[in-house]
Amino acid sequence: MSVLLFMINYFHRILEYTVNHFTLVLTVMILSMVLWFSVGVLISRYEMLAGAVLGLGNILFCIPSISLFGLFMTIPQLGLGRRSAVLALVLYAMMPLVRNVYRGIKSVDPRVVEAGQGMGLSSWQLLWQIQVPMAWPVIFAGIRITVVMITGIATVATFIGERNLGRLIHHGITRSNSDMILAGALIVSVVALCLDMLMGLLEKKLVSPGLRYQQRE
Amino acid sequence: MDSQLFLDTLLQRSPPHILEHARLVLVPLGLAVLVAFPIGVILTRPQYRRYAGRVMAVLNAGQTVPPLAVIAVFLPFLGLGFRPAVIALTIYALLPIARNTIAGISSVSEDVKEAARGMGMTPWEVFTQVELLLGLPVIMVGIKTSAVLTVGTAVLAALVGGRGMGAVIFAGINFFRPELILAGTLIIGLMAILLERLLTLAEWFILPRHLR
Amino acid sequence: MIELQEVTKTFPGSGTPAVKGVSLQVKSGEICALVGPSGCGKTTILRMINRLVEPSSGSLFIDDQDIMKVNPDHLRRGIGYVIQQIGLLPHRTVEENVALVPRLLKWPEGRIKERVEELLEKVGLDTDEVRKKYPYQLSGGQMQRIGVARALAVDPPVMLMDEPFGAVDPIVRLRLQDEFLKLQQSFKKTICFVTHDMNEAMKMGDKIAIMNGGFLVQHGTPREILAQPANSFVEDLVGEDRGVKLLDLVRVEALMLPREAGTANGRSVQALDSAKKALEVMLEHNVDGVTVCREKQVVGILTWETIKTYVHQAGSEAGG
Ligand SMILES: Nc1ncnc2c1ncn2[C@@H]1O[C@H](COP(=O)(O)OP(=O)(O)OP(=O)(O)O)[C@@H](O)[C@H]1O
Ligand SMILES: [Mg+2]
Repeated sequence: MSVLLFMINYFHRILEYTVNHFTLVLTVMILSMVLWFSVGVLISRYEMLAGAVLGLGNILFCIPSISLFGLFMTIPQLGLGRRSAVLALVLYAMMPLVRNVYRGIKSVDPRVVEAGQGMGLSSWQLLWQIQVPMAWPVIFAGIRITVVMITGIATVATFIGERNLGRLIHHGITRSNSDMILAGALIVSVVALCLDMLMGLLEKKLVSPGLRYQQRE
Repeated sequence: MDSQLFLDTLLQRSPPHILEHARLVLVPLGLAVLVAFPIGVILTRPQYRRYAGRVMAVLNAGQTVPPLAVIAVFLPFLGLGFRPAVIALTIYALLPIARNTIAGISSVSEDVKEAARGMGMTPWEVFTQVELLLGLPVIMVGIKTSAVLTVGTAVLAALVGGRGMGAVIFAGINFFRPELILAGTLIIGLMAILLERLLTLAEWFILPRHLR
Repeated sequence: MIELQEVTKTFPGSGTPAVKGVSLQVKSGEICALVGPSGCGKTTILRMINRLVEPSSGSLFIDDQDIMKVNPDHLRRGIGYVIQQIGLLPHRTVEENVALVPRLLKWPEGRIKERVEELLEKVGLDTDEVRKKYPYQLSGGQMQRIGVARALAVDPPVMLMDEPFGAVDPIVRLRLQDEFLKLQQSFKKTICFVTHDMNEAMKMGDKIAIMNGGFLVQHGTPREILAQPANSFVEDLVGEDRGVKLLDLVRVEALMLPREAGTANGRSVQALDSAKKALEVMLEHNVDGVTVCREKQVVGILTWETIKTYVHQAGSEAGG
C-alpha cells in the first residue's frame, strides 16, 4: 500500500518519467522496425550477407547494456542523454528483429512462393504479396520480444542522464527506498505490457486470419 | 583515448573483479539450472502437461520486469551484498532454461518414444536415453542463452554491493572514462564467449558419439 | 501449341540429367497427359514450359514463339498453372486467390468480381459460401477446384496441370475429372497434364506421353499406347488388363454388327457406350450378346465373340 501512496505523492514526477520512458521506447521501436526490417529483407535476398549481419547482431547483443550506454555517452557527438540512449537501444533491437524477419521470410513454404512465381508475380510482388505477409507471425513474435526487452533495458539509460522510470529504481537503490524501487518496477512492467498490447493490435491488423489458424495448430 | 589507462584497467584494475564476476555468474546459473530444469521436466510429464501453459505465462510475465528492477527489488529485504544479487540473477536466468527444457523434451516425437518402449526400455531409460539425449541440444541452447544473459546482467550487481566487473564499468561511467568501460566490456565479452564455448564442450562430452 | 525440341535439363550438382532430349508437341486444344513413375522428370518438363526451370539445352515454343525470348513474368501470367498438392495462398481468401492474376494484369475491380463469381460457379462451387473463406477452411476437393478456377482466371490459352487431382480421394477425383473434361469441351485449352496414374492419363489425355528416367518413351493416343506399347516398361505401366482398358476406349458402335447377323435377347446398350460397358452387361446377365440402340431405335448387336476377337487382335498387335 505504501507503494500506492508513494505513487500518489510523486504523481507529477512519475508521470514525467513514464512519458519519457514511453516516448524513448516508441522512438527506438519505430526507428528499429524500419531499419531492421529492411536489413532483414535484404539479407533474405542476398544470402551471403546473412551470416555476417546476424553475427554482428549477436555480438552487439552480448555487450552489457550499461557498457554500450557508457561508451556512447563518452563520444562527444552523442553525449549524455537521448541520442546515446536511442542509438544503443536501436543496436540492441537488431538481433531479435533482423533474425526474426530473416527467419520469417525463409520459413515461408517454398511451394507457395513457387505457386506465386508460376502465376507470374515479379520478385518484388512475391516479396510483398507472399513472403512478407506470410512471415508476419514470426516477425511480430520478434517485435513483441523486442518491445518488452527494450522497455526493460531503457531503465538502464538513467545512468547516462535519461529521466525515465529507471531513475525511480536507481534512486530507490541509493536511498534504500523499497517503495520507489517497487513503483519503478511495477510501472515499467505496465508500460512493457501496454506496448506489447499495442503491437498485438498491430499484429491483429496485419496478420491474415488465414494464417492465425495455422499458428495455433 | 588514453591507452595507458586502458591497459592498466585491463591488466591491473580488472583481474580481482574477474573472479568475483565469475562467481556472480556461475552461482546463479547453477541454481537456475537446479530449479528450472526439474520444473521443465515435470511440466513435460503427461500428468502435469496441462499446467505448462500457465507456468510459462507466469515466467513470461516475469520477464517483463526489467533486469535493473529485479536486481533492486531484493535490496530492501536482504540488504546490500552478494546474496540479493545472486537471488535476482537466478530468477532472471530461470525462464530461458525452463522454456528450452520444455521445448527440447517435447520436440522428441511420440513415435521415437514408442519405438524405444517397443525395444523394451523402461520408462526411466526412455526418459534418460531418449527424451533427454535427443532434447539436449535445445536444452543446452537455453542454458547458454541464460549464461550469456547473466554475464551481462551481473554488471548491474555492482549497484547493490555485489561487486564484480560492474565496479569497473560504473567507475568508467561515473568518471566519464571510456577506457574503463571498454576494458571492462572486453573482459565481460571474453567471459561470455568462454562460458559459451565451455558449455558447448560440455554438451559434446555428454552426447554419445553418434549424436555429435 | 506447345512444342519441345530436344530439351535436356541437368540440375546443378547432379550427375545425370533429369530430362534427356525430350521432343514433344501438344496441339492446340488438346490435352497431353504426361505419365511415368515418381522422379522421371514430369514436373521438371512442366516447369520448363513456364520457365520456373531453365533448360540446359534444347528449345521450347508456345504458338511458334520461342519462350526464352519472352519476359518470364509475362509468360507465366499467360499460362494457367495448377500445382501438385497446395499452391493456394494461405493468407488470402478464396476470392483473392482467384483474383490474383487479374489483379496483376490490372483489370478493373468490377470485372474481377464478375469473373470470380463466374469461375467459382463454373468449377461447381457455391460462390457465396466459399468466397470469403481461407484455404484452411476448405475440403481437399474444394481446394483443387479453386486451384483450377485460379488457373482459368484470365482465360489463358495454355494450361499446365501438375497432378491437379492428386490430393483427393478416388471418388472425388473421378468427379473432378469428369467436370474438368466437360469444361474442356467448351474451353478447348492446350493442356499439359501430369499424373502418375495411368488410368487418369487414359481418361484425360487426347495424347499420352510416357516418361521413364528422363526419357520420353512413347507418345501417342491412348489407343496406340494400349494397342502397341513401345516396350516392356510401357506394357507394365499399362498393366495386365490392358485389353479391358482398351474396351474402355472404343465405342459399341465401332464394333457392332448389323442387326440381321444374329438374334438378340432382351439386354441392350447405347451405341455411344463403351465396349467395356457392353461387356459388363453381358457378364452381369450371363448372356452372349446385347442389342445396340440409338435412343429407342435398335441399330445392331454386339456379341461376346466380336469383343473377344477385338481384344485378341489388339493383344497380338502389341506382341508383333
Ligand atoms: N530443383 C531441383 N534441384 C535438383 N534436382 C531436382 C530439382 N527438381 C527436381 N530434381 C530432380 O529431378 C528429377 C525429376 O524430378 P521431377 O520433380 O521432375 O519428377 P516427377 O516426375 O515430377 O516426380 P513426382 O511424380 O514424384 O512428382 C528427380 O530426380 C529430382 O530429384
Ligand atoms: Mg512431380
